[in-house]
Amino acid sequence: MNLTMLFAATEPVVRLTPQARILAAVLAIAFMLLILDLIRRDKLLERYSIVWFLLGLAMLAGAIFPVLLELLAKALGVRDVTIALFSVTLLVLLALSLNFSVIASRQSKQITRLAQQSAIDGVEEEKPEVESKPD
Amino acid sequence: MPGPCQNRSVKKLVFIPAWNEEKSIEAVISDARAHVPDADVMVVDDGSTDRTAELSRRAGALVASLPFNQGVGAAHQTAYIFALRNSYGICGQLDGDGQHPASEVARLIESVQAGADLAVGSRFSPNATPGHPGYKASFARRLGQRLFSLLVSTSTRQTFTDTTSGMRALNVRAMELFAERYSSEFAEVESLQQAVRAGLNVEEVPVHMLARAHGDSFITPLTSAFYIFKTLIVLLIGQLRPRQVGQ
Repeated sequence: MNLTMLFAATEPVVRLTPQARILAAVLAIAFMLLILDLIRRDKLLERYSIVWFLLGLAMLAGAIFPVLLELLAKALGVRDVTIALFSVTLLVLLALSLNFSVIASRQSKQITRLAQQSAIDGVEEEKPEVESKPD
Repeated sequence: MPGPCQNRSVKKLVFIPAWNEEKSIEAVISDARAHVPDADVMVVDDGSTDRTAELSRRAGALVASLPFNQGVGAAHQTAYIFALRNSYGICGQLDGDGQHPASEVARLIESVQAGADLAVGSRFSPNATPGHPGYKASFARRLGQRLFSLLVSTSTRQTFTDTTSGMRALNVRAMELFAERYSSEFAEVESLQQAVRAGLNVEEVPVHMLARAHGDSFITPLTSAFYIFKTLIVLLIGQLRPRQVGQ
C-alpha cells in the first residue's frame, strides 16, 4: 500500500442526491424562519438564538454547495458524505446540549442565591433589632 | 456590651433547617432555647407547605423562609450567610425532626469555643457517650455510613465515623468558607472534605441522637445505592477542585 492509495481511499464516493439537497435547503430556510419568529414573539432571547441561526446557515450552505460537504468528508477521512454530515451534526448537538447544561447550572445557582437573599431579607424585616453589618 | 470573657461576648446562632416539620419543630425550638439560652434560634424553612414557619414564629424563633424547596445544602448556606451578615461568631445547627438533642449541640459549640473551626456530632463514634448505648440504625444504613466514612476518611486522611451528620457547630472561618461555596445535594459529606482541604480544624465529637419522632428518612435502599454512587463521584471531583483558602 502506498501513499497514493491511502489518499485515493478518502475520495468521497457517496454524495447527497439532488432531492436530499433541495429538502435540506427548504428545511434550513424553514428553521431560520422559525428562529426569527421565536425571537419576534419573545420566546427566545437573542443571545441564545445566534448559535441556532448559524446552524441553519451552515445547513443551507451545505445544501447549496455540495463541495463544502465533500471537503468536510475529505478532512475527516471518510468516503461517505452522509457519514461526515451525521458525525459533525452529532458533535455540534453534543456541544450545544452541554452548553445548555452549563447555563442551567448557572441559573440554578443564581436562583438559589436569590431565594436565600429573599429569606434573609424576610428575617431582617421582621426583626429589625437583628442588625445588619454595614458593608 | 462586650463581657470580660471574649467567649461570652460572641453572638451565637442556633439554626434548624426544616422542611415540613410542623409536628416536631416547636419541641426542637424550645429544646434549643433551653440548652443554648444565650443563642438566637432561627428556623430555615426550606419551602415548607405545612405550618412549619407559622409554628416556629409562634415558638419565638427567627424564621428565614426560602420561597421554594432548595435542598438541605441551600438551607444551611442561608443560615451561614445570615450569621455572617449579622456578625454572629458561632453557629450551631440541628435537624428539625427531633433527632438531635440540643444539649449535644451545646457541647459542639463548646468544642468550637475551645478551638475547633467545625465540630461535627457523630452517632457512630467508638468513644460513645457513657450511659448511651449508641444509635440504633438498620443494617443497610450502617453499611452506607461505613462506606461514606471510608471514602471521606480516605480522601481527607482524617477519621470520620458519621459523615452525614447534620448536627454541627462552626465558627466564622468555617461559615465564610461555606457561604462562598456549599454543595446543595451532598452538603454534609462534601463539606467535610471541603473544610479539611481548606485547612480548617475539623473535630468529630461523639454525641447521642434519638430515633426519629415523626416521618421517615427519604433514604430507601434503591435511592441510597444511587446516592452512594453519586457521592463517590462528588468526592472524586472534590479531590480535583482547587483548594479554597480558609482565612
